Amino acid sequence: MKAMGRREFLRTSGIGLGVGLLGGGCATAMKGDFAPKTARRVVVVGGGWGGATAAKYVRLGDPTIEVILLEPNRQFVSCPFSNLVLSGVRTLDSITFDYSGLRRHGVRVIHEMASALDPAARRVRVGEGYLEYDRAVVAPGVEFQWELVEGLAENQDKVLHAWKAGPQTQALAEQMRAMPDGGVFVLSIPPAAYRCPPGPYERACQVAWYLKQSKPRSKLVILDANQNIISKTALFRAAWREYPNIDYRASNKVVKVDPGAREVTTDFGDKVKYDVVNLIPPQRAGTIAVQADLVGADKRWCEVNHLTFESAKAPNVHVVGDSTIGLPVPKSGNVANAMGKVAAVAIVHQLNGKQPPQLAPGNTCYSWVNDREAIAVVNTYRIENGKVVQIEQKLTPGQSAAVAQNSLGWARSIWNDVVG
Amino acid sequence: MQVVIGIALVLAAASVAGAGPLDTPGAMKALNCSACHGFAGQSAGDTMPILAGLWPEYFKKAIADYASGKRPSTEMEPYAKQVIQFGVDDYAVYFGGLKREPTKIAVDATAAGRGRAAAQPCVICHGPDGRGDRAKLIPDLAGQPPGYLKNQMMLFREDKRSPGDPSLKAIKELMKSLSDDTMSDLAAYYSSVR
Repeated sequence: MKAMGRREFLRTSGIGLGVGLLGGGCATAMKGDFAPKTARRVVVVGGGWGGATAAKYVRLGDPTIEVILLEPNRQFVSCPFSNLVLSGVRTLDSITFDYSGLRRHGVRVIHEMASALDPAARRVRVGEGYLEYDRAVVAPGVEFQWELVEGLAENQDKVLHAWKAGPQTQALAEQMRAMPDGGVFVLSIPPAAYRCPPGPYERACQVAWYLKQSKPRSKLVILDANQNIISKTALFRAAWREYPNIDYRASNKVVKVDPGAREVTTDFGDKVKYDVVNLIPPQRAGTIAVQADLVGADKRWCEVNHLTFESAKAPNVHVVGDSTIGLPVPKSGNVANAMGKVAAVAIVHQLNGKQPPQLAPGNTCYSWVNDREAIAVVNTYRIENGKVVQIEQKLTPGQSAAVAQNSLGWARSIWNDVVG
Repeated sequence: MQVVIGIALVLAAASVAGAGPLDTPGAMKALNCSACHGFAGQSAGDTMPILAGLWPEYFKKAIADYASGKRPSTEMEPYAKQVIQFGVDDYAVYFGGLKREPTKIAVDATAAGRGRAAAQPCVICHGPDGRGDRAKLIPDLAGQPPGYLKNQMMLFREDKRSPGDPSLKAIKELMKSLSDDTMSDLAAYYSSVR
């Protein structure tokens, strides 16, 4: 890793200061070393599925280690199940949690944006101040590559992604409800790799189900940059037989959006009119990981040690969750949760001078195909020559209400595992 | 003072990773299980069983049956193979050594009362409080989540749990005689046994 110079560190952190102030945070109170380190300390950047889990499990592994979690949002909103908020099957409240559970585990949660990372000095910049760490966990999730779609960056208020669950989820649901019967809903899927491979196809099911019930003359046009449905392919194809209102177009990458003309343009030059558009932008690792040069040659994702999730580029920095690449795992909440635990165990061992054990993640992934039935894919992994390799992938034989019930049990349990 | 220091040193030495509850090999390996089955096997969900307190030999049989496909489950077959890969004995000893806290899923007391009255045929094998028979690997039902218990009854009824296993013929016949409502009542009762 190229060591970040002090000037660069301060310059980068200035951007974060602005964000902190705009966000109404108390960044002005954070000057210099605003929480001097008195014990071994882990600073976690990002309180999503991977970061929150890592923070909790370091404390479970060794309560003498101080853990500080930096997360600007005061609430954890689950991306899994957020597609059901679009269709009205669930409420946003039912997938929203606070961070009090982590505090009960002794995690110090600070609702501020970490604006820069300086691995050479072992510091994380927050506002005008900084925190020192022994080890950092970087879990910033994904950032959108707005610049790859013409017209997108300047129209973020009108062209919604709803790919980070929260206000946009609600706003897209409202746009869909306000759409006239007979209207066209366009869903644009970015090229892999992106957060939650089956997510767009589950979203297609939920939108199509809603339209079938409430706007039977409406149509869902799916413009997929990929050559085919990239996850649970046969199961989604089977589910879509119930949705003649879906017009699926593979290998159709959206390269331009024009909200004035209510039109998107594909890389073939085809123009598609819409009444409501849901444009899921191309993605890369969260900004702090890119700015700290934790990303690899692709400049998008972070390569890591498969056993400890240490960055391939920076010492004492672990990267977990959707920002990572190189493991044969999907960018899913369940995998991020598993990575958070494996990294936490590794960190606890390393801070105690011990060799970390060899542990591997697992992935359980449910997709709802209507208001009561779901499908699932399950992957487990082992370690071979220091690398994560898949043991098996298994899919449900079909869609069923029983699988949907299992998904509810999974959700309740894993939400509790992450922030409970 | 020397005695105090001595005890502190012993405690420190006993702690591989630093005095937390993840110090045993089983505890660390079982972290993958906690996504669905809760930390330390205390499932928070309704459909996943509580693993804490399972007899090690029962745990190992369940894992072997899931891994071989004898007990079909999309979710559990890959995970069972992973458990075997990493060493089932560590998991079995870990979960077996934990005390089962009863499920926090609330049930209707009236339904539980009906379930208790309907539980007579179950007592023959599972005992008066559903505590099971360890020697025969008949599981302890008390305090498990009601959704899990009902699901298993339905799987038995449909011959989808260990299909064709002659040792389960009696329970499958019994389940065929029960309505969905009675199964719900039985699940409410056994999950509420303390």
